Amino acid sequence: MKLIGMISIFWLFIVLVYGTSDFSAWGDPESPCNLHVSNYYIEHAMSDTSVPNIVTAILADYRGFDTMFETAVIFSAGIACFFLLRRPKYDAPEAVVFRHIQTGITLRIEKGGRLPKESDEFERIDTQWVPYDLVIQVTSRILVPFIQLFALYVVAHGHHSPGGGFQGGVIFGAAIILFAVSNTLRKTTHRVSEKRSAVLCAIGVLIYAGTGVCCLLAGGNFLDYSALSGLLGVDPVTARSHGIMMVEMGVGLAVTMVMIWIYYNLSSAGKQHEGL
Amino acid sequence: MTEHYSVLLIIMPFLSGLLISIFGWYDQKKCYAIAILCLFLSIIISISLLLAVMQNGEPVQYRIGGWAPPWGIAYHVDYLNGIVLVVISLTSFLNLAGARKVIEKEFSDRIGAFYTLYILFTTGLLGMVVTGDAFNLYVLLEITSLTGYALIGFGVNRAPLSALNYLLMGTIGASFYLLGVGYLYMGTGSLNMADIAHLLPAIYHSRTVMFAFLLILCGLFVKMALFPLHGWLPNAYSDAPSISSGLIAPLTTKVMVYVMIRMVLTVFTPAFSFSFAALNSTMVWVAVIGILSGSMLALFQTRLKRMITYVIVTEIGYMVGGFWLGTRDGMTGAILHIVNDAMMTLCLFLSITLISYKIKGDRFSDFRGIFRKMPVTMTAFVVAALSIIGVPPTCGFFSKWYLISGGIAAGHYGFIAALLFSSLVNAVLFFRVIEIGYFEPFSDHGANSGHVPEVRMDEAPVSMLMPLMITAAMLIVLGIFSGDIVTRAIQFAIPASII
Repeated sequence: MKLIGMISIFWLFIVLVYGTSDFSAWGDPESPCNLHVSNYYIEHAMSDTSVPNIVTAILADYRGFDTMFETAVIFSAGIACFFLLRRPKYDAPEAVVFRHIQTGITLRIEKGGRLPKESDEFERIDTQWVPYDLVIQVTSRILVPFIQLFALYVVAHGHHSPGGGFQGGVIFGAAIILFAVSNTLRKTTHRVSEKRSAVLCAIGVLIYAGTGVCCLLAGGNFLDYSALSGLLGVDPVTARSHGIMMVEMGVGLAVTMVMIWIYYNLSSAGKQHEGL
Repeated sequence: MTEHYSVLLIIMPFLSGLLISIFGWYDQKKCYAIAILCLFLSIIISISLLLAVMQNGEPVQYRIGGWAPPWGIAYHVDYLNGIVLVVISLTSFLNLAGARKVIEKEFSDRIGAFYTLYILFTTGLLGMVVTGDAFNLYVLLEITSLTGYALIGFGVNRAPLSALNYLLMGTIGASFYLLGVGYLYMGTGSLNMADIAHLLPAIYHSRTVMFAFLLILCGLFVKMALFPLHGWLPNAYSDAPSISSGLIAPLTTKVMVYVMIRMVLTVFTPAFSFSFAALNSTMVWVAVIGILSGSMLALFQTRLKRMITYVIVTEIGYMVGGFWLGTRDGMTGAILHIVNDAMMTLCLFLSITLISYKIKGDRFSDFRGIFRKMPVTMTAFVVAALSIIGVPPTCGFFSKWYLISGGIAAGHYGFIAALLFSSLVNAVLFFRVIEIGYFEPFSDHGANSGHVPEVRMDEAPVSMLMPLMITAAMLIVLGIFSGDIVTRAIQFAIPASII
């Protein structure tokens, strides 16, 4: 069976290679795919949208509808993870473990016992807790704000350089995941709760779709940002540039939050009260 | 506003899905209302779109972002997808309409997420059908697939494993499609379907186009579960929660058949697609083998849901075979069967949802005396069964009629024989269930056979029965008006070059 599999794969490989034999040469300026739509994009992107980065213009304007649904794909991934993994009803653990930070003494509080208040002195820890490395904790604490700042730059600079909502969103999400890895999941969910990440991620996609609906209400076609010119008080071409900015921010928000949401569910196997 | 209908059909459920996911965190009671309202609106929009196409006699076009087609994405509604749009929104609505209690019981703590996935899945299917852009189709295929995996994965038994299996197979299928679209882009430099169709004739002879054609077909065959590639379907559909399989089973495979028809007729055009006699007859023979093996495999099943999943595999064979016959009647039958089969499968799965609401287990032996227990549900089940067997005046008869006359016109007697054989097998399959349910006395597991226990009627609530009864009535209405459907819509969906 294995042999038959190998032979058929090899045979298919030969067939597929044969299929590529009349492809146009690599980088051939005369090949059909370099002569049709791409020419139009290269020649008109700047004058149509006033966005110097052609990729951004295609991604968020000419084919902005695809990008909206790509964002929706990411959103679906987040909600699918939640749907399949989340275990909201959990039995209260037998005992809860707290650690006195200054002395390092751990307290084991049985069911029904009085829990200490949230404070700088006590922190709740998991049963499999190991001391976090101070160097890692401090380094990542210093790094996180810079990563976040860079993420915002990447989102904002998508018009001029490689970047945009997806990339910026991933970087921003990664910053928060770095915080979660170097500290505890519980500390992170305190700052960005699951509910907040889920709602904000839907809002991110809503910003994208909502921009399109605004265009529709302003009298244009769906996602025709030039219809927003009256609303924004600029000429139609600049309005396209601003429209792209708006949807990029929506994408950034959605991607950030989905990253965090999926991390919460995956790292703790859906329990979210104990985990990495 | 009417000119925006085609995009509203996608945007409205999409926005509702997002809203539901937010409401799911605050007020779960509103989720159902939003979902059902948006599906109802999408029925209205899709019907008015179809009527607009029928009145004007020409496709409804829409430019998203205001960009003209080859540069931007265009929506294109004609007779072919107008019909499929109505079927999708109707099926999705009917499946959800009565299911509120089931959903609250089954997904008590994640209702918001369930409705979001449900609506996004429907959005994806609608978007795949309405679009006139080959890549946009792929993006929506991804949404449909992702949400579909999630909906299936939350089922019983080994549902997560079945969903994973489906995910692997589905991803391979989708990748093949994407690769094919890449080849097309390489050959033509365009992604718009109409534009590709316009540019292709100049390079019909090239290997790139040939491979694009084969890759796209392979991908779609995996996705539609044509016989040798059907491995993922039975497990995925029978392990899924019944409400999810009621949405996914009638629609996914049928929409994939639509995509195949769209690709073959619109993008590659019949002049190219039907110029390889060997390829066409291979397709029909593959379909014939699929019909025969699907029927045989269905015979071996002892669980109702699993049996029906194999019937779905058989039905895919009908549509693919009928279409590749290349005759006008065969194609009419294939397109009509998309409509009919969606409704028949929906009716079957709705009745299964109702049965599983009242009875645990779906082995045949669990159905003893069920006619006395749930007479209305079982009546609808019988109507659906008759339709699948192909008894007039139910709609299943008429599409089979067209398929068979297509086979006669093409002189393909193997296909006709397979159709008749599988109709007979279907009769055996369903009468076995009906016999157990009607004649055998009701008994629980291990009950003594000495006396017949009294069976009280214990029918599902009226709110759940209504959609089922409407669906069952639809099967007969569709059958009676199938002549009108063909003469007013389907015959315009098939290019004039096909006779």
